[in-house]
Amino acid sequence: MRIQTSKLTKVYRGKVRAIDGVDLDVPVGMYGLLGSNGAGKTTLMRILAGLLKPTSGRVVLGGHDITTPAGRVAVQRTLGYLPQDLGVYPDLTARRFLDYIALLKGLDARSARRRRIGELLEVVALGEHADRKLRGFSGGMLRRVGIAQALLADPRLLIVDEPTTGLDPEERIRFRTMLSQLAGDRTVLLSTHIVEDVAQTCRDLAVLAKGRLVFQGATGELVSQAAGRVWNLTTSGPAPAEGRIVAAVPEGAGTRYRLIAAAAPHPHAEPVSPTLEDGYLALMGVAPC
Amino acid sequence: MTATMRYEYLMQVRRPTLWLVYLLVFAVTAATLPFWSLDLGGRDPGDPRSAMLSAADILIAVLPMVYGCMIADRPGRDRALGVDGVLSAIPAGRTGRLLGKYLGVCAATATPFLAIFLGRAAGYAVIEGEAAALGWSLVVFLSVIAPGLAFLGALAFAGPLLVPPLLFRVLFVAYWFWGNLIPVTMMPTLSHTVLSATGEYAARGWFEGGFGPRPEAALDVLRPEATPLSAALWVGVMIALAAAMLVLVRLHAIRSES
Ligand SMILES: Nc1ncnc2c1ncn2[C@@H]1O[C@H](COP(=O)(O)OP(=O)(O)OP(=O)(O)O)[C@@H](O)[C@H]1O
Ligand SMILES: [Mg+2]
Repeated sequence: MRIQTSKLTKVYRGKVRAIDGVDLDVPVGMYGLLGSNGAGKTTLMRILAGLLKPTSGRVVLGGHDITTPAGRVAVQRTLGYLPQDLGVYPDLTARRFLDYIALLKGLDARSARRRRIGELLEVVALGEHADRKLRGFSGGMLRRVGIAQALLADPRLLIVDEPTTGLDPEERIRFRTMLSQLAGDRTVLLSTHIVEDVAQTCRDLAVLAKGRLVFQGATGELVSQAAGRVWNLTTSGPAPAEGRIVAAVPEGAGTRYRLIAAAAPHPHAEPVSPTLEDGYLALMGVAPC
Repeated sequence: MTATMRYEYLMQVRRPTLWLVYLLVFAVTAATLPFWSLDLGGRDPGDPRSAMLSAADILIAVLPMVYGCMIADRPGRDRALGVDGVLSAIPAGRTGRLLGKYLGVCAATATPFLAIFLGRAAGYAVIEGEAAALGWSLVVFLSVIAPGLAFLGALAFAGPLLVPPLLFRVLFVAYWFWGNLIPVTMMPTLSHTVLSATGEYAARGWFEGGFGPRPEAALDVLRPEATPLSAALWVGVMIALAAAMLVLVRLHAIRSES
């Protein structure tokens, strides 16, 4: 399901411009949404999920205008949404919780519903914990319950808001891999401030900064933003004054720095090839603040 | 709506605190009021109908406070737990969800109340050999107790929108004494009026009579003679007030949705 927004703006009461004139075009597939804390990722996703009315601008998902009641219902029918701060009913088991959500989503036929829930519990590797109360679930397990509930009605659009924050490295990698496997012919919109998650799963991404869209395109394009601007420098002297330090690793008597700078920050600095994170940082360095 | 009703019922009725608080308050009630003799004076405790009306009188003086307090944290629970994001992204009607939640939560919270009441009726039926007490207890619960609970439940849904649940509970208990229990001559009060939730109009209007205006008290326009008609009026008032509260809750939700 394609997502298109034009001049999308959200001003909260109290005059916070959380989203400011965003023109976004998200194709089918896995799509990353990067941005620092407070950039407006959650706000944008809540608007796309029909939970929040935009102040102005247009939002069209799969041909439906989300700001009309009929459009909202049409979009929500094929939407799976995993909120950033997902909560559950601690006194229900995973299976019962999913059963409740499935009923609300209109999966009325009992046997089909049970089958679907059983399948999904396997997909998210919670089969053996299905009948335990959610109270005792770890953060990673809850996140997997969250993705299972989002998938119940086999959605065309999956919106997942910072699903990997706070997970241990293995669980994080498992989770993001699962998401990209789910993408297929769906649109999966993944927000995060962990650049690596986007680098490993998305072909395209957008970057939000202070409510504005500062980049949208292929990950390779963002990487090339930093081309020729990433440097390695090993020195035992003072930290280099020029450029932006993105890494500092003690090595022998000195320190090996990784820097982003328009020109060689030091005669001994060696150019290295950029990563997506370098591209992101280079972009944020020049972004209007 | 039925899914919400079913799950809200289950989650509330399985809450150990619910049963515990009811049990404690009931223990105090049974120890201080004539719950075992059912002799309140003025009625014949040997008659199953009178006995069940007395049992209702005793329980409804106290247990609605538990009922209201145990409901108060439910309306805001989805938000407090963080489930509301997921629920609101589902295209099921929000009015239906509110109604389902209201019906499920109120039914669940009334369940221990009903259990205690039916338990007393069963005890009476066995000890006195009067099986009719069981039938009367159902009739009395539905006609005298349930309408008031419908209104109090809606009140406990609306109140916590204005004040935090904890403060609401304090205010609710204060309201219960002021508006339902205190003597009418003490101060202007809703006691003994058609706005009181204690079901006196149903009990007297349909079953006993002999209840009505208290000219010496303030607000006496609200105290018609108890007749079958004014009993029906009381039920209507309770349901109308409940509906009005729920409309307010829904409007409040629409306003804060933007
Ligand atoms: N309900 C609200 N009322 C007022 N301001 C809000 C509200 N929600 C968010 N904001 C503000 O809007 C801006 C964007 O917030 P948002 O939660 O969308 O950012 P985010 O990119 O999701 O951040 P994070 O990475 O921390 O989750 C912030 O400045 C925030 O303080
Ligand atoms: Mg966020």
